[in-house]
Amino acid sequence: MGKYFLVARSNLRKAKGQSAVIVALILLAALMLNLWLMLSTDYAENFERYHDKLNAEHVTLSITGVDKAQTDFISRTLDEDARVSEYRHDECVGMIGGFSYNGGMTNMWLVFMEKQYALDRSIGKAEVIEDSGKSGVYLPMLYKTDDMGVGATVQISVGSYIVSYEVCGFFNSVMMGSHNCSLTQILFTPDLYEQFVALEYAPKSVLWSVRLKDASDNAQFRAQFKNAIAERFPSVNMMSNDYDTVAQARYISQNICSGILCAMAFLVLLIAIVVIVSNIINYIQVNIKNLGVLKSTGYTSKQLVLALLTQFLSLAFLASVAGSALSYGVFPSISVMMISQTGIPYAMRFLPLPVFISIAVLCGAVALAVWLAARRIRKIEPITALRSGIVTHNFKKNRVPLEKTKAPLNFALALKTTLSNMKHNVTVCVTMLVLSVLVVFSGLMTENVIADMTPFVNLIVGETADSCISVHAEAEARFVEQLNSDVRVEKAYLFNSINIAHVGGMELLATVSDDFSAVNNKNVVFEGRFPKYDNEMAVAAKYAGEKDIEIGDTVKFSACGKTADYLVCGFTQMTNNLGKDCLITRAGYERLGELTEASYYIDLKPSVDIDESNAEMKEKFAGDVNIAINIAQTVDGASRVYVSLMTFIVIAILAVSALIIAFVLYLLVRTMLATKMRDYGILKSVGYTTGQLVLQTALSFMPSLIISTIVGLVVGCLIINPLMSLFLSSIGVVKCTFGIPIGFVSIAGVVLIVLSFGIACLLSLKARKISPRNLLVGE
Amino acid sequence: MSDILLKTEKLCKTFSNGGLQQHVLKNIDLELYDGDFTVIMGASGAGKSTLLYALSGMDTPTLGKISFGDKVISDMSQDALSVFRRQHCGFVFQQIYLIDGMSVMDNVLAAGLLVQKDRKSLVQKAKALFAAVDIDEETQKKFPSQISGGQAQRVGIVRALINSPRILFADEPTGALNSKTGLDVLDTLTKFNECGQSIVMVTHDLRSARRGNRILYLKDGAVLGDCKLGKYEHGNEERHEKLSAFLRDMEW
Repeated sequence: MGKYFLVARSNLRKAKGQSAVIVALILLAALMLNLWLMLSTDYAENFERYHDKLNAEHVTLSITGVDKAQTDFISRTLDEDARVSEYRHDECVGMIGGFSYNGGMTNMWLVFMEKQYALDRSIGKAEVIEDSGKSGVYLPMLYKTDDMGVGATVQISVGSYIVSYEVCGFFNSVMMGSHNCSLTQILFTPDLYEQFVALEYAPKSVLWSVRLKDASDNAQFRAQFKNAIAERFPSVNMMSNDYDTVAQARYISQNICSGILCAMAFLVLLIAIVVIVSNIINYIQVNIKNLGVLKSTGYTSKQLVLALLTQFLSLAFLASVAGSALSYGVFPSISVMMISQTGIPYAMRFLPLPVFISIAVLCGAVALAVWLAARRIRKIEPITALRSGIVTHNFKKNRVPLEKTKAPLNFALALKTTLSNMKHNVTVCVTMLVLSVLVVFSGLMTENVIADMTPFVNLIVGETADSCISVHAEAEARFVEQLNSDVRVEKAYLFNSINIAHVGGMELLATVSDDFSAVNNKNVVFEGRFPKYDNEMAVAAKYAGEKDIEIGDTVKFSACGKTADYLVCGFTQMTNNLGKDCLITRAGYERLGELTEASYYIDLKPSVDIDESNAEMKEKFAGDVNIAINIAQTVDGASRVYVSLMTFIVIAILAVSALIIAFVLYLLVRTMLATKMRDYGILKSVGYTTGQLVLQTALSFMPSLIISTIVGLVVGCLIINPLMSLFLSSIGVVKCTFGIPIGFVSIAGVVLIVLSFGIACLLSLKARKISPRNLLVGE
Repeated sequence: MSDILLKTEKLCKTFSNGGLQQHVLKNIDLELYDGDFTVIMGASGAGKSTLLYALSGMDTPTLGKISFGDKVISDMSQDALSVFRRQHCGFVFQQIYLIDGMSVMDNVLAAGLLVQKDRKSLVQKAKALFAAVDIDEETQKKFPSQISGGQAQRVGIVRALINSPRILFADEPTGALNSKTGLDVLDTLTKFNECGQSIVMVTHDLRSARRGNRILYLKDGAVLGDCKLGKYEHGNEERHEKLSAFLRDMEW
């Protein structure tokens, strides 16, 4: 064993720079691999841990009104259902509302409770994270931002009213702690709760919290449970959520981030592997005489391969341990970003399994690469090695003969180097292909999320307008008349969400409209068409895929105790309900039940103030307006977290890309200068200047660099939308249609090439140390 | 008397190694003349190769001045020296130093294209030189590893002459060759010198030294003797005897 270390140590001493680059690349891969594993294992399980800790519900349902007959019926239904493990109901105040968040307004079903009461609930209890001890309101910890801390004033809109309270703390609620949960809990200190109830701005409600024996039944149970209530009490107003939907919704950012980290970790590993393989092939080429000497003194090929394995595995092991350790330094920053979307606290702890997997994967990959690359040592005969690899038969070709080429001298000599260095070209190509795809991704995110998030919002939210006003069904005709006569209104159309149950499947969030041709985002239906007739429906593609539903199939839906068949006319992709959505015409919905309220999406003329218009409508239809939302502001508030996450990711990708280019080029230039030291010495002796040699070195990388960058950018443009669809598939996106910023991509490509050329020139400056005298005295 | 081609004044070269100073060249004042075949001789470690590198601008002196015509090359930067070498000097090395990755023709053109932009006439000139040193067209297409040592050294001579240098430096050009091929190389150099090519050659081989018309003998970093012979004539015993006597005086 000692002799392997002897050879390995000698190799390491001779190649400190190359070893440093390989260590840096593996360290980077280990860092990202371990972060990915931490995010996708323990961090994802954090939801489950908190769910258990707070004995949270599998299905939550808030129902307007406190009615004994209703309570008795629901209790009986739950008692008779064998799937229910335990349940409870609590009186509270609840209705659709919102509050200020991230410069916008949230919009969801708010459940108001007294703090101590919420903390003491046996099912779905809350946990206070921060408490000033003063009188005020407690918000879910997701809403703790720079602007919204303890002591800040929060404006809460409930129906047509707005109230302001001081924030006295934050709490954690698993099923009602985020705007992604449909239901959001707000807690009051006892004095304020009494005051708030007395105001009667929002109706008294009952909150049902149900735990199931088998958590996987949650979505189906929820659909059947709601349907049973709706069948018995058709006009009741309720809102619910379930374990699966909430678990997925609260971890959207985590899913996106871990997907990107996973992709980047393996791409960096790929680059590291290519670099190692190139390094070994080069090592064999440069040290062929030494290998011949070792072989002639009795070393076997196996021993020489083992020495290389020892050398690279020791580097890989140290780098992956260091990378894994470093990930614990980086994770807190990522966790802070994630918590701003999940809203669930996470206490970092040491996770041996991800560390073990990271080290095993990286060392395994390196071992395989070294073994494959070093196998050629077996084919080297000692005498051939001692002759510097010159074999009896030589089929070397004179590429770019100077006699015939029209190319300028330095370019021709660089091209000769390029063509005789295929392993360098492969390394450059793989690196630039990977980085180009990452650049396209960064461009895509910059254009569609960071600079203008309309495409992202269209994909995630589906339909947007300036404002959404929801009125009671009885007031709808009058409201529509008002909208039609209002000159400030550009366009208004019914866009009402209501739950309906797929018979034999899950509950879907149905969007009901009189005329879908009025919607702004025509991409919501990406295959087939919007429903036109009462027997048609467009279903979420994700759900359709899970249930094997095709366009042209007939599906059975139920609501309010009625059942009807619908023809699937198209596939949608909206992530509001994580891919459990459908579109249906009003006439289609009326085959199941009547709308108790009507939400209208309104586009106002450009100069009109949305908030003022909403306030005016609220005043005109006082008592009939359930809620009036400034959609732009709401979307802006909720989306800001994605913008900051994406900004971080894009900056990280660009920084890592620049670093990788520098690392890889450093390694290649260094290797090239080492192997061409003699040639460059000769060229200097016949009159070549350092500048010419620097130019030749840098230019020699350019053909493969330019070609692979162009190919990478083109391939990136072609695959990036399908790749994004894959990343976002968990939230219901099936077909991404982000606009590819050709200008940005082209400029980024040019920058990438110029940057690489600049780095190669800088690194090649080492050629100035090569002097003809060294050549003369060196041998 | 021919024109002075190269002139040194108080030329010194010192190497430092771990605080130990080694004065290899000591205050050398020398004039080299146009058209001469100057041979530098001396025992191992006398400083003959160091003097050759300094004269050719391959290395910079520690002290002193080297002038080429009105140009002081000892003050030039490395890049300026590169330009100086490409324009005025040719080199023939003991180890030959052809670039393995280039064909024989490309090795020559890589040097030639630095100075001469007309590729067509340069190729013609290279072919004429190859013919002069007896390298056929087939060999011109081969790579250095595919030709013999003697052929390689003759290719080295063609490369050295492709830019029509004012002076050709040769450092033990026959050192790595056998007797027959070494003789061919010497004949080639002699032939070019007869055509007016100035040559400065380092050697410790008497047979090679006979080709020179001026012999400089170095000892301990200083020029100990300077012997002027006539032009080389095959079988001129009197000339050979004069050289032998000079070398005996130098205790060679």
